[in-house]
Amino acid sequence: MSRLPVATVTPAGHAPVAPFVGLATLWVQITGTWCNLECRHCINASGPKSPWLKPLDAVTIRRAIREAEAAGVKEIYFTGGEPFLHGEILPLLELALATAPTTVLTNGTLIGPQTADALAALAARAPYSLELRVSLDDTEREKNDRIRGEGAWAKAVAAVRLLRERGLLPIVTATEITRDEHPAGSGMYERFRDFLRGQGVERPRVKIMPVFGIGRQPAGATAPLTEDDLEGFDRAVLQCADARVVAADGVYACPILAGLEGARLSTGSLAESFRPVPLYHPACVTCRDTGMTCRNS
Amino acid sequence: MPRHGDDVSEQLSEYRRIAVFGGVYNNAHALAALLADARGRDVDAVFCLGDMGGFGPHPDRVFPLLREHGVLAIQGNYDESVGSGRTDCGCGYTDPRDNHYAAISYRYTFEHTSAENRAWLGALPRHRRLKLGPHRALMCHGSPRVVNEFLWESATPNGLLRHLMARAEADVMLCTHTGMKWHRALPDARHAVNVGVIGRPENDGRANVWYTVLTSAPDLQVEFVPLAYDHETLAREMDREGLPPEFAETIRTGWWTTCLENLPARERARGKY
Repeated sequence: MSRLPVATVTPAGHAPVAPFVGLATLWVQITGTWCNLECRHCINASGPKSPWLKPLDAVTIRRAIREAEAAGVKEIYFTGGEPFLHGEILPLLELALATAPTTVLTNGTLIGPQTADALAALAARAPYSLELRVSLDDTEREKNDRIRGEGAWAKAVAAVRLLRERGLLPIVTATEITRDEHPAGSGMYERFRDFLRGQGVERPRVKIMPVFGIGRQPAGATAPLTEDDLEGFDRAVLQCADARVVAADGVYACPILAGLEGARLSTGSLAESFRPVPLYHPACVTCRDTGMTCRNS
Repeated sequence: MPRHGDDVSEQLSEYRRIAVFGGVYNNAHALAALLADARGRDVDAVFCLGDMGGFGPHPDRVFPLLREHGVLAIQGNYDESVGSGRTDCGCGYTDPRDNHYAAISYRYTFEHTSAENRAWLGALPRHRRLKLGPHRALMCHGSPRVVNEFLWESATPNGLLRHLMARAEADVMLCTHTGMKWHRALPDARHAVNVGVIGRPENDGRANVWYTVLTSAPDLQVEFVPLAYDHETLAREMDREGLPPEFAETIRTGWWTTCLENLPARERARGKY
């Protein structure tokens, strides 16, 4: 079993905290860390063998969605691992979409014509928007597959085309992991946008994420946040102030840290996790420094 | 429940029929057309839900119209930024292309808004409460809790609306900020209305803009009013002021060319870009 590499952390009890301001975003770690790919930079070291964080059962997911609705949730995200490995992804997605706009974070490699048809049908009858975030780390096949594995580029690009042909507008999500391999000053966003246009995507949507020093690519000696680091900083803008993640063994503060003991806020109900969050992990530094969010925008 | 403490504290006024609009975006031509149109619709008062500046030309032409016609306004994120001398519009984009255009737009508006008008914007209330017949209405810019929260039709669940309105102790919530109008009657007879904007068209390939008339009859009636105005003159003024041609293209064609990042899939799919 491949556990996450352990970074230097502040004991949760001594870390500065972010407030809980209300539940805006529910994350569902639907497949835990079970994935058909094994990307070099994966934030939770997902892979095909013995996932260290187990997939969620449908009963837990349904209960979490009901609880989140009662709490006034604004959006739901399905992540993993690879969500399309879950046998009940489509009915669960339908339930989520009846509740709130819902996004699936996927590597795209399992989306063939049949799944794309089912997603288009779901999107058409849902009251709220269905969003699909397809991960692609580089517009060049070789650079991408070096990170994500042989064949990942072709399958993800094919999925983007299949979705586009059905009127769905996937958001291509890239980390900055190969940014330095391109000429300085060339815009990453522009490169992805132009690439997508070249694939026939008239309304390109691109989200760029920083690389987190966690999971399969742990950081060096990044110090966790201290109270001094947060002087004058509005902690309510951190995503852990209004997001919660339901995973197989509890409720967590953020999708980056789901499954880690120090980030677990509840082993029971979602409501029990509605309390301040310890900013104990070096990954919290990235959120403060970049203002990043795992949400779509 | 407003997240910020400066809710309007005026005595709760009662109305039967009101006109409400948002997002002027420096479009004094549309504002003048709206004020003339609303006069013919027997409204008791006219309300603006904020964002006077951005996008269009000649910001200072908007304020005399608002004041002379007694428009009751609240503060949008743009007004908050301009009024407090901030360096950005507070729209919260992350897409570098959107931010590029937003920066041009904000700098132009800031530099062309007089000190007197900036102070006026800075003094606007963040919310208004009023009675619309028996209905308790709350007016906000983005959402009751955050001034720049986007409440799109396809991305605003009923559970969230119930939550926001319960906390705000309101039966009717009126907002703007997204630039696209919508109305939803909830099963418990509460209403959420995004009143749209008059500053730019609705990304539907038409040049007109929209405002909203609400009537207590005593059931709530919501009417979206299409508003034609001299958009070609506006576009020419934008060209003369050196604003990005993409902005004038939106005014002329009705298709959004910038600030597209935050659109949910369903709203984005309706547009050209």
